[in-house]
Amino acid sequence: MTTQKEFIQDISTALGRPTPVSVDVFTVAPTTAEQDILKAVRQRSSGERQPFIKTLQEVSVPLHLDFHPERSLEDIRQAIITLILEKDPEWGTKKSVVRWDHPLLNSLNLEAAAELKDIPLYITNHVAATSSADDLQAQRQQTRKEVEASFIGITSADYCIAATATLAMKTRPGQARSVSLVPSIHVAVVEESRLLATLKELYTLLKWDEAEQAEGLTNNLSLISGPSKTGDIELVMVHGAHGPRELHLFVVSDHR
Amino acid sequence: MSTIAPEKYKENASKNIADPVLQKALSGLQERLGPATENLYNSLPEGHKMRTEAHQFRRKAIDNLDVLLSTLVDKVRGHGGIVHFAKTAEEAVEICKKIALDNDVKTVVKGKSMVTEEVGLNLALEKEGIEVYETDLGEYILQLSGEAPTHIVAPAIHKTRREVAELFTEKLGTPYTEDPPILTRYARKALREKFLKADMGISGCNLACAETGHIVTVSNEGNIRMSTTLPKIHVAFMGMERIVANLEEQQSILRLMSMGAAAQEIGGYVSYVGGPAEVDHGDGPQEFHLIIIDNGRSKILADPEFREMLCCIRCGACLNVCPVYGKIGGQAYGSPYCGPVGAVVTPLLFGINNSADLCAGETLCGACKQACPLEINLPRMLLALRSKLSEGDPDWDVQPKSKGENLIFASWQRFNSNRKVYDLLLGLMRVLQHLLPAKQGMISRLPWPLSGWTANRNMKKLAPKTFMQQWREKKEKKGS
Amino acid sequence: MNKPEKVTLFIQCLVDTVFPETGAAMVTVLESLGLKLDCPANQTCCGQPAFNAGHTREARAAAVKFLDIFEDAEIIVCPSGSCVNMVRDHYLDLFADDPKMLVRAQAVSRKIYEFTEFLVDVLGVESVGARFPHKVTYHASCHLNRFLGIDRQPRTLLAHIDDMTLVEMKGADTCCGFGGTFAVKYSEISGAVLAEKVKNIVDSGAEVVTGCDMGCLMNIQGMLSRKNIPIEVKHIAQLLAEK
Ligand code: SF4
Repeated sequence: MTTQKEFIQDISTALGRPTPVSVDVFTVAPTTAEQDILKAVRQRSSGERQPFIKTLQEVSVPLHLDFHPERSLEDIRQAIITLILEKDPEWGTKKSVVRWDHPLLNSLNLEAAAELKDIPLYITNHVAATSSADDLQAQRQQTRKEVEASFIGITSADYCIAATATLAMKTRPGQARSVSLVPSIHVAVVEESRLLATLKELYTLLKWDEAEQAEGLTNNLSLISGPSKTGDIELVMVHGAHGPRELHLFVVSDHR
Repeated sequence: MSTIAPEKYKENASKNIADPVLQKALSGLQERLGPATENLYNSLPEGHKMRTEAHQFRRKAIDNLDVLLSTLVDKVRGHGGIVHFAKTAEEAVEICKKIALDNDVKTVVKGKSMVTEEVGLNLALEKEGIEVYETDLGEYILQLSGEAPTHIVAPAIHKTRREVAELFTEKLGTPYTEDPPILTRYARKALREKFLKADMGISGCNLACAETGHIVTVSNEGNIRMSTTLPKIHVAFMGMERIVANLEEQQSILRLMSMGAAAQEIGGYVSYVGGPAEVDHGDGPQEFHLIIIDNGRSKILADPEFREMLCCIRCGACLNVCPVYGKIGGQAYGSPYCGPVGAVVTPLLFGINNSADLCAGETLCGACKQACPLEINLPRMLLALRSKLSEGDPDWDVQPKSKGENLIFASWQRFNSNRKVYDLLLGLMRVLQHLLPAKQGMISRLPWPLSGWTANRNMKKLAPKTFMQQWREKKEKKGS
Repeated sequence: MNKPEKVTLFIQCLVDTVFPETGAAMVTVLESLGLKLDCPANQTCCGQPAFNAGHTREARAAAVKFLDIFEDAEIIVCPSGSCVNMVRDHYLDLFADDPKMLVRAQAVSRKIYEFTEFLVDVLGVESVGARFPHKVTYHASCHLNRFLGIDRQPRTLLAHIDDMTLVEMKGADTCCGFGGTFAVKYSEISGAVLAEKVKNIVDSGAEVVTGCDMGCLMNIQGMLSRKNIPIEVKHIAQLLAEK
């Protein structure tokens, strides 16, 4: 068995230096350009974010992403209810839906919709850190079962990048990562204030924003741009390889 | 599972050149991806300097690999992950096998990973009675058909829809159809079952970030996310060079990688994995193992001529423009690493002598370097490999390849160094060329060692007078 | 840079031995611009074939000879992109570990020019008053285009030839499959790459294919001739010398 010491030692030898030394490869302060980005993002007004909506609309087309025009919570709620009612499940015939436990999604209050009373609506909030190991196991299994059974998964996102229609999601309690992955249809609802212009802005925030630094990337950060796809058979683009076949995106207006 | 057989380069190339289906697939691929990638480079908001910088970021990471890896390892452990080190392919396989056996693993789902092919993982696990499923659609097709990949990003591009249709009907028992969306759905269904029952998921690592302590995987299909989210154990294989210092550098490289690999601004799914799922999170693997693999890389690192090769991020952009790859396809290289990148990496990892044809079998046109998002100087390294082959190199265990060729160049040098001898020899050849079959001044058959030329083209005869002679005569006329 | 008066010719070995008419055409063009020419008669090959095949020792010997002959020149002009690439760039690699030779190589590296580069960038000439009433397609050879970054110059000169129609072939900058000894050692692969180039040339509808490197053009000519395709191969200097 090779130990870490031996392994790293061999690399140092190959590099022609004695032992790992601390070198200056990690940045400790933002550059002026990065400071400018941080400032721009923080001071950006709702009005300045409006062009992002148009960008999202445009880039959604080649990505095969369904970008919805509804902006108010009430309209979005209705649109999602319609999706749930009109779309067909891919595996089997029974419909169920799973969603994150997330303030924005909670405020949609889909559970109260009379039209959905026959459709189970699961929330991935079973696991509590205080539970015993056995309970944890059982709770995880419960979540897993519900996610597998659901044909629609509803999440929010930490950020949504306009230029590439990328959703950035960290993992947190109540926000199971499989909700954006296993159901055939992924519905994402994000606040307008979470819109960013570019991936560069995202990375600058992840790196330098104090709140982001404090939380870290978490053990799982996913950047999702459009539904799952493949071109592996004769380069013909097919949507729905292993992940969701459809990705529906809603942006909630600041003025709701 | 690909076996390493670069010796068969010429033979395989010849077979593939004669295969019209493959030829069509290769030119279709190159015509689509090559220009599309170039367009994205040309419209980079950061301009061309982004690529130059990205190369420097990678180079800096490689030059400080000991420090970066130590940092990564500390962080991953801090996140609750388990880190292993494998000096050799065998060791990497053993480590993974042990994790599987200790956990009573029955089914493994794999995301596309070149390094697991390099170390020969699948076979070893299957020998233990473990079911291993490749889940990238292309890889899955090849696993079913038992073939080697044609391309490092689009491995099954040589299979027509018809062949896939027949394969699925035979192996999956699905109704015959040649419709790619339906065929994809069949594979989706078959593999979904595997994802849901698998107890171990294996992934590669496209590029780790040292400062945060995460590996990053990129895919469009979502298969890697499935493999690393659903099974209770996630094992990630990482070639030790696949790392960068910090997030801002990673941002540029991941974008460039996506452009090179699939002409995208960013891959469909980019996942940062730092460790197992936290206890109170609803899902995700409960164990995360990271296996960091050397397997010959520290030797490349130690050689200043080849260190640059460790900057490679295996995006495959160089394949999409290479005129030679475009004719012979990936299987000709006899290695999981094919195309221009393979022509350099395969000799360095698996032996220069038996990969001699890979080193010599390119035109040095430079298209690869131009298409590489990081502008890695593959032609320079091919030349360095050729020089090792002609002169031998004990450090790399290289014997001089061909005494005959060395002799030819040694004598060439002798007459090239003396214009009088040079002219004499030319005179002789001018006489002898009349013995060769020719029409309208074009020779149609040359003797060894030039016979290869006239296998498929003619050669203009030597001129009755060299330019130098004409020049001299012109001077004399003027002088008189 | 000041316009030079005297130019020293470096004649690629292929031009010297197989295509002297290319050299003659270059002389015609340069003399018509009022330049004094000099051509060291003891020059031979620059060593590129040996270098590309990995025979560094022999390549180095050729380089030493080259430097001996050419280092006193004011400015060196050569009708081949790949040879200029060899002298300008690879001589520096060859002598990377030999400081004394490296200085000499650097000096020569700074004063060698490819023919079209010399005309356009050094002399500032775009038109030499040539006339060539034919359909021509241009092959952008790899060493010239990618390694030396010379593409605008030949295209500018071609654009100023009277009565000539320039037709763009598909993949003008794709390799022709020559690659020096590669063409002989891997002739089947080389032939497959070349066949595509030839097809694109034919599809362009051109009567003449031109370029700045006789290596590639000889390769292309070889297959055109084998396939009995009546498309002529001419070095750009030959077109520029036409009146
Ligand atoms: S050499 Fe460059 S283009 Fe080729 S796979 Fe590596 S990074 Fe990509």
